Amino acid sequence: MKLKNSVSVLFFAFCLVSMVFVSRSFADRLGNGSDINDCLQIGEITKIGNRELVITTKFEKAPKTYTLTMHPDAYVHTGDRGQFMKFSELKTGNLVAAYGWYRDGKWWARRIAVMDPNDYLIKRLAEDAKAGVYYKGER
Amino acid sequence: MEGVIFLKNRILVVFALIAAIAFYGGPAEAKKTVIKDIDKRDWQVIAPQDSDAPLHDYAILYDAGGTDGSIGVIGIPSMRTYRHIKCGVDLHNFPFSGSNAGNNNGTPDGKYFYVSDKGADTVVEVNLQTGMPERIFALPKPFGIHHSAALAPNGKYLFATGELTGRMLKLRLADGATTVLDIPPAPSAPDYPDTSKDGRYVFSGNYYHSAVMVFSQDPFKLIKEIPVGKNPHGTNVSPTNRMVVVCDKLSATLSIIDVDKLRVHRVIPTGAGPLHNQVDSLGKYDYQSCFVSDSTSKIDLMRGQLVDEFPVHYRVGHNSIAPDNAYYVSQNKFSTGLFTPTGIVFAVNFELQDIDETSPTYGKTVKLIPVDGEPHEGRQIFGSYIQRWNTGKGNDLFEKGYDLGDYHVSFDKGPGLSSKERPSIEPTHTGDSMRAWIPRDDGKPGVTKEGDVYVVRVKAFSYGYVPRFIHVPQGAKVRIILTNIDKAAGLTKNPDVTMGFTPAGYYGPRTMLFGVRGMSVVGEFVAKKAGEFEYYCQQFCGPLHLEMRGTFFVDPPGGKASLASGDYDDISKQETMLSEHERQWIVGTNKLLNKLNEGNEPTI
Repeated sequence: MKLKNSVSVLFFAFCLVSMVFVSRSFADRLGNGSDINDCLQIGEITKIGNRELVITTKFEKAPKTYTLTMHPDAYVHTGDRGQFMKFSELKTGNLVAAYGWYRDGKWWARRIAVMDPNDYLIKRLAEDAKAGVYYKGER
Repeated sequence: MEGVIFLKNRILVVFALIAAIAFYGGPAEAKKTVIKDIDKRDWQVIAPQDSDAPLHDYAILYDAGGTDGSIGVIGIPSMRTYRHIKCGVDLHNFPFSGSNAGNNNGTPDGKYFYVSDKGADTVVEVNLQTGMPERIFALPKPFGIHHSAALAPNGKYLFATGELTGRMLKLRLADGATTVLDIPPAPSAPDYPDTSKDGRYVFSGNYYHSAVMVFSQDPFKLIKEIPVGKNPHGTNVSPTNRMVVVCDKLSATLSIIDVDKLRVHRVIPTGAGPLHNQVDSLGKYDYQSCFVSDSTSKIDLMRGQLVDEFPVHYRVGHNSIAPDNAYYVSQNKFSTGLFTPTGIVFAVNFELQDIDETSPTYGKTVKLIPVDGEPHEGRQIFGSYIQRWNTGKGNDLFEKGYDLGDYHVSFDKGPGLSSKERPSIEPTHTGDSMRAWIPRDDGKPGVTKEGDVYVVRVKAFSYGYVPRFIHVPQGAKVRIILTNIDKAAGLTKNPDVTMGFTPAGYYGPRTMLFGVRGMSVVGEFVAKKAGEFEYYCQQFCGPLHLEMRGTFFVDPPGGKASLASGDYDDISKQETMLSEHERQWIVGTNKLLNKLNEGNEPTI
């Protein structure tokens, strides 16, 4: 009887642990908000270093902070239809879209686009977030 | 008293008018063109003007012109055609050089684009700064390229699909070295590809398998097939790299594939006949060209819903989006009733749609222009990438490079030629052959020998050919008589439907026939090279146009041609594409097949 109970308890514990892992493996990254592995991040610049930026993501329920390292071939666009600017001209508070990759512990920015707050897509993302529809599907 | 009321009413009317002007004028003002430094360099400084018709366009649309063998260069938003760049036979798809980061427009470095030539089975490298073709990548034969779409994130490799032979290819841009994969089981048609933004995967639809195939970029190999809707076509990775959006052509749905889990995450109903995607640069909306419903579908990728639909003139194929997401170009395949007739091959049209939600003309068509050829993919780039070469600074720009902000562009860094020489090659469109239109020929389809000529009568209809297989002996004089017997016009119900006939590869630059209704067209050439060549319809005739194919065999003496038996090494030299003194710019060919040693180079 004791053995049976022990087996039952063990089986129950195994099921619980499995459920946790299974639910994790099926966790939907598409619904988890921004992720370091994303190849596009939208956020506000909070700190500017030597070829590095710190941004806090926007339009999310739980904003995240990422450090972006400028790729050797990276360039910066202003929000004004493709005009180029220098990295040194970026300012804290700028809203940027960063395109790049996470590799070897760093998020490498290949292109930074300063976004115009009046851009319709930015306005739309802001309105959506206000209505509870967060960027990158965060629930 | 009455006078006071009248005066009050008038004042109210005037205020209402002012308010109305302010209301409508306000949003329009946001789209005025501002004079920038680039404009001030002109001797003639332009006045501010509405941005839908500026003298200086802020973006440029490069469109692969299909059957005219040229790239069209069109200003956005003026929709003026600036020029055509001659590239080959039947141009389909291209990425800009640089990186694939971002949406379909990528992160260009402004140096090159690489366009696939389905007719000649090549990839042509065009220098964006000179506007001239510089190199031809001679793909290993038999390959049968359709779309060369996708760059690796580091910009050093190009991935292409061999739709006509069921193969996939990875090409090193530095020297044209290739790795080729066979994609069984037959029939197999790797179609429109895109690469993941993190360097892991290549995705490609396969319409015969109704699946999206997943390859790893390095090492290059097939790792999975993901079933999607019926006959998928446009397959694009979102700029966030989380989703692959797939146009299920015959299911009228958009399959969303989760890039991490490599499985379908969601299926979203959309317009009928979805062909191609354009995701905006923030990954918020995906715009689809819907051929059957004559519309642009707008899907909110964050909500997973169809949120809007804009009508287009008629039968859209490809599409493109402005780099600032303000405009969308619907690249329509028919122009019935729109333009003055100019001959047997009709003009198709491009339709500029305003997709800025804050604009007074949101969702409307603001320009519609006729274009020549049968254009395929278009990609847009900010005009600020193109330098001003005609001011005496050209030499410095090439030898020393130039700056885009603090990014220094140097042609010595590759992947193209060094700055020492800038060729301008002119690939052949059709040559060493005869083409003519004749009264309708109602002879029995098949091959007959008339004197010393092998006469091949081919009937074309939507969507197929009779006969499906053609055999002629090597060295034969061949006369193809193509007759358009189509009555149904597929789903198009369009009187303009033209049927095409192009054998891809060696005979592509010689034989591009346009079969208009009520007439036959003749093409004559000598079948010098043995091999198996897929022929296809190069003139868009409906949603299954892509699948309208047959096989032309030139049998070697004493045997039958096949994909394993033919003069492929010779054909791969691609000598018919360029004149003798230009051939130094042909790279690749079969010699390097499957000898690519990539080492451990990271893809990003």
